[in-house]
Amino acid sequence: MTRMNRRALLKSAGSVAGLTAASSVIGTPLIAKERSLKIGAYGGYFENSLKEHVYSAFTAATGINVESVTQPNSTDWLVTMTQATKAGSVPADLSLYARDTMIKASRIGGLLSPLDLKAAPKTGDLDPYFVFEDTTGPIGVGAMSWFTAMVINPEEVGPPASWAEFWDSEKYEASLGLPKNFNAQFLDIVAATFFEGEATFKTKDGIVALVEKAAEIKPNVALWWSAESQMEQALKNGDVIGGQYYLDVSNLMAADGFPVQPVFPKEGNPQDYGSWCLSSISEKGAEAAEFVNFSSDPATQALMSRKIGTAPLVPQSKTDLTDDEFAFVSGAPSIKPAYEAYLDSETFIKETWEKMLAGA
Amino acid sequence: MSVISDLDAVAQPPNTTRSEARKWANPQVLIWAVVLFLCLTPFILIFAVSFGHKVEGAGWVWGFSFANYQRVFVGAEWPDQVTWLYLQRLYYSLYYAVIAAVLAVVTAFPFTYLMTGLSRRAQSAWLVFLLSSLSLSEVFIVMGWDVLLSNRSGLPMVFKETGLTDWLKAVGWFDVLREWGLANPRNVKFKTSVLATVLTMSYLVWPYAVILLYPPLSRLDRSMVEAAHTMGAGPWTVMRTVVLPAMRLPLVGTILLLFVFLLGVYVAVTVFAEPAKQTMSVSVYGAVRGNTLNAPFGAAQAIVLLVTAAIFLVLGQWMNRRTAS
Repeated sequence: MTRMNRRALLKSAGSVAGLTAASSVIGTPLIAKERSLKIGAYGGYFENSLKEHVYSAFTAATGINVESVTQPNSTDWLVTMTQATKAGSVPADLSLYARDTMIKASRIGGLLSPLDLKAAPKTGDLDPYFVFEDTTGPIGVGAMSWFTAMVINPEEVGPPASWAEFWDSEKYEASLGLPKNFNAQFLDIVAATFFEGEATFKTKDGIVALVEKAAEIKPNVALWWSAESQMEQALKNGDVIGGQYYLDVSNLMAADGFPVQPVFPKEGNPQDYGSWCLSSISEKGAEAAEFVNFSSDPATQALMSRKIGTAPLVPQSKTDLTDDEFAFVSGAPSIKPAYEAYLDSETFIKETWEKMLAGA
Repeated sequence: MSVISDLDAVAQPPNTTRSEARKWANPQVLIWAVVLFLCLTPFILIFAVSFGHKVEGAGWVWGFSFANYQRVFVGAEWPDQVTWLYLQRLYYSLYYAVIAAVLAVVTAFPFTYLMTGLSRRAQSAWLVFLLSSLSLSEVFIVMGWDVLLSNRSGLPMVFKETGLTDWLKAVGWFDVLREWGLANPRNVKFKTSVLATVLTMSYLVWPYAVILLYPPLSRLDRSMVEAAHTMGAGPWTVMRTVVLPAMRLPLVGTILLLFVFLLGVYVAVTVFAEPAKQTMSVSVYGAVRGNTLNAPFGAAQAIVLLVTAAIFLVLGQWMNRRTAS
């Protein structure tokens, strides 16, 4: 387009003066046409993969340049964005938030702007669960998702049919690795295995019952991990022979020859996901809608599954992922975490959980 | 800085403003002001935050309530329920710090004593080696110990390969180890355990212990030791009646310093201690970090930890002075 214009201009320009004048006129709309978007994502391997595979494809498809912004994580980024919004200038137009952080942002108010879904028709392919609407409209569209799965050491034990088997001390005494954080979704597993799932989180008694059931597994836990790398080392070293860990990393470890096997028991595994959210003071609503549209495209979802190891937010049938590729990043059934309860009863669940861990 | 200038203004009559101005130019006053500012500002900030208020499901806001301090002592559900959860963590902070500090000093003392008897050359070689080991960060040291104690690559592997595990099983001691949490049905395990935590923590501060004990020990008058020997005292009697009394002050001082240093250890505790035996510094981080965004509660715990450390230091000094007099 640009070259065409300039060539036409050169032909028509009668004099040097005319050329200068005309090029300055034509130059202005050219700069304005250069569209861009600042997108935040968790730093490290994840952000690099997005830059390399997804943003570049997006720029090639739409001509919109992407400036990648590093987020430390979801919740700390929310603090940054809250302060930046107050100051009137934000570091990113689109940010990546986990669902609980997104709900937090929605509750704080004035931080997020609804996305224009009419300009993003491909979001219709997503499961409606992944398009989060509050009173102002659709403020978050799913970007990608990830599972934390049951894992075992296949050299030591066979795949359990249910999470309940992990409570069997005959087999698993001092041998499991489970996450230490109260909201790392182990309680959701307990709820799905022994109770009524998310509904059990609604009352304090329900939460206490969940934590008491979790307490019964304590003799079988050798490691309550807080950092991902702790569990990775424990699995590799044989310090634990089972537990709860990220599905994609487990598969990567298995592919590297370590004795690790992710399992989908009958209750399933917890599925978490990240959402693209538009800052309330961003002026790039149109570009953001185009990006969200691009990211929701089954082809992009498949691209992310292959290159980053995230689970697609569309059914496998809509993508060209093979069964093996799909099993590497996803599975069924999926346990949906009780996000609202984790926020509404934050202090209570955290303290009850930690009391259980501490035996206090 | 403002505190100092206010104090100066109050202390000095108005007609000395010129000398006051000259005093401000004095670099020493300036340095003091900067140091005080740098020390006090973070502390005052944390103190102020500790009275803030947590908004459930969101962040926190400034406020003035003692609820966070109350929670440290009796828990969030008080008066319906009482929990000693956070006091238990405080207890473990002190527990590990005391044991690890004493262990480090008890082992570093004979080492340093023997080292000061070596030639100058050997002494400086040891000191350089120990000083360079200080460049290893806590994370690095914990990683090393983690590998040392791991099932496939460390001590448990040695137990298994040498047949020690089978022998323990045969004589029945293995079940005792299982009861102590030092074994799973397959092999011995040293993570997570108090043993691993304390060992790593004393390893962490061991070079400091040597470096702190080195100057007083090298100044120790060896002729006193020799005199005691010639008068017929055995090595233990010499140690007990000559060396230790002369070294009492530096020994207590070193233990106190290492103790305060160890109160803040984070990585070793998260990796080697089970959640039931984790410390207040881990709990502080758990409250402040993104997970719940409860900086006020983290700050309140930090203040309680700080006050406890101060009490221990004062007590230590007081006991030291009392036994000295």
